[in-house]
Amino acid sequence: MFVLAMRSIRQRPGRFAATLLSAFLGAVIVMTFNAMHDTAGAAGVDDVSAESLTTAAAVVGGYGTLLVFFAVASTLTVNVRQRSEEISLLRSTGATPAQIKRMIVGESAAVALVGAVLAIGPAVLGGQALLDQFQESGQVAGSVDYAFGPIALSSGISVTLLASVAAAFLAVRRATKALAGARKERGRMRNLAAWGALVVGAASVSTTFAMDETDAAAMAPPAYGAILLAVGFALFSPVLLTGLLGRLRGPITALAGASGYLTVHNMRRRAAELSGVLMPLIVFTGMATATLYMQAVESDAIEASGLTKSVEDKNLETLNFVVVGIIVVFSCIMLINSLYAATSYRRREFGQQRLAGATPGQVMGMVGVEGLVLTVTGVFLGTVAAVAGILPFTMLRTDAVWPGDQGPGIWLAVVGVAAAATLITSLGTARGTLRTPAVQAVAVAA
Amino acid sequence: MVRRPRRETPVGSSEALRLVEVTKTYGDAENAVTALDGVNLSLPAGSFTAVMGPSGSGKSTLLQCAAGLDRPDHGRVVVDGEEMTGGSEAALTKFRRQRIGFVFQQYNLLPTLTVAQNTVLPLKLAGRRVDRARTEEILAGVGLADRMEHHPDKLSGGQRQRVAIARALVTEPSVVFADEPTGALDTRSARDVLRLLQGSVRLHGRTVVMVTHDPMAASYADSVVFLADGRLAGQLNAPTVDAVAERLAHLGDSVNDEMQAGV
Repeated sequence: MFVLAMRSIRQRPGRFAATLLSAFLGAVIVMTFNAMHDTAGAAGVDDVSAESLTTAAAVVGGYGTLLVFFAVASTLTVNVRQRSEEISLLRSTGATPAQIKRMIVGESAAVALVGAVLAIGPAVLGGQALLDQFQESGQVAGSVDYAFGPIALSSGISVTLLASVAAAFLAVRRATKALAGARKERGRMRNLAAWGALVVGAASVSTTFAMDETDAAAMAPPAYGAILLAVGFALFSPVLLTGLLGRLRGPITALAGASGYLTVHNMRRRAAELSGVLMPLIVFTGMATATLYMQAVESDAIEASGLTKSVEDKNLETLNFVVVGIIVVFSCIMLINSLYAATSYRRREFGQQRLAGATPGQVMGMVGVEGLVLTVTGVFLGTVAAVAGILPFTMLRTDAVWPGDQGPGIWLAVVGVAAAATLITSLGTARGTLRTPAVQAVAVAA
Repeated sequence: MVRRPRRETPVGSSEALRLVEVTKTYGDAENAVTALDGVNLSLPAGSFTAVMGPSGSGKSTLLQCAAGLDRPDHGRVVVDGEEMTGGSEAALTKFRRQRIGFVFQQYNLLPTLTVAQNTVLPLKLAGRRVDRARTEEILAGVGLADRMEHHPDKLSGGQRQRVAIARALVTEPSVVFADEPTGALDTRSARDVLRLLQGSVRLHGRTVVMVTHDPMAASYADSVVFLADGRLAGQLNAPTVDAVAERLAHLGDSVNDEMQAGV
């Protein structure tokens, strides 16, 4: 099976691109920040510098592990679903479920290893740049020498490898379960998880009021709360989407004609599948908006109080930006990958529409309207989650409820990125799909 | 672009489909496969024609070229007096949805739409008015009036194919093309489907062209056109199952004779 795994990677390197990219970026981040552990561990580093370095390494390193896990799991789930034909072929030729599991897990381990090895070079440079940044802002003494050592290497490779293997295991388990026809249980688990995320998120947001106003850590509860709320909304998104489309059926059909008509019916039936696309979209919008606005409020509050930023404040600021950056990149990869897969998976459906008399323009119109509905839903839910985190923090940190000094600029930029990623990916993929003549497109899966 | 009606035959003529010297080659110059080799065919309106031939004889290519799903390398295709010309896919789609209906072996119904929605989809796409009573009437015609709100995955293969036929007829096309419409059906469902196609010709004056490899299916047609190696290889009027099977079995030997006879 391992031989088969290697062969399938060599034959079709393209379909592992998204997994490789996730593993590579994850490994770069984990190694870059764990290099701060190596640097801090060297002899002659003062306490303040060491603390700055290890805090950064611990926080971002932890985030990184989680993100590698989610991103690889998302790309592999897509990958496994696209290969359902190949997998059922293997089953019919006599492969046991365990052998198929070993093949998929083996593939992802190999891809993760390649990603981690490729990441070493960029991580060495990235760590150097990060240390320079710390030294420039005064968070770390200028005398500290850069070290990229065993902690960075071992943690980078092991985290990437373990997260990938675990993600592959989950993805293939879900795929084989789906083949066996187990469905109901998942719905209940999903509802439980969704309510759990919403309750814990709301609780986390509420504890903001219990925090000391001057505590630098006051940003943590609302930020985590916003993420959890975003995840909860994402899990409920199929229900919300179905309801929303029921309301908007009239206007969408009136504005977009036959394309809009198809959009409404498609999306209502496929709402559950679309939550895979909505999840990264909501989390991205919620996270980016919440963190960036809270940081802006925090900076203004410090400025207003006439104090200069302490090393701790600066650490927090750097971390916030880094975390937002990482989440933005990973959510974008997940969004683009799942949207690409979901759209190219519909080659046959597009072919059927064309045979029924839809012009290429009408198909593109339908995909475009779908992208718009997705963007609006994702941005709306993400913004609600973000506001739920921003308001308590603003109330705590300033006298106002609404962060009035901050314009809508940040939010508009976040929305712009979300809309661009969604629309460009879905329309671009659909366009590629339409190049196949309709009759062939329909025959592919037949 | 689709040109303004360029009448190939006098107005009021009853020719539904005409192919003139249609040639189609696949592959590159070195290993080219000629799927259609100068095919001439003329089918009157209100006829039910079966196209038969062994695998690789070009019958599917013939259907796809005639239906505007594929473009011939040479030759002309005229549907209901109007020539199909090379243009953008959008132009070709508009040409098709006005004049041509399709029925496929794999039904090709959209899984997200109900039976009624699938049936009127071509009208919706063409921006035409959808009349609820008319939809009911059409679905009643294929025996599915009580299934209008079902989704295709709740229907049997035969029922799905009947929805596909209702969808093909809803635009009142000049020609309905059916590609192995009974290929995935059991004998009883196949008979229902064939009777429906036959009825659309006899009762409503539609024109149906059906590609099939099944002599039983072909026997429902008014005439059978045989195809071998991309060329026409004879025609059989008022076909019976046995006559069609007999003819098919000897198709290989008779190609040359028939060509000389100039079908």
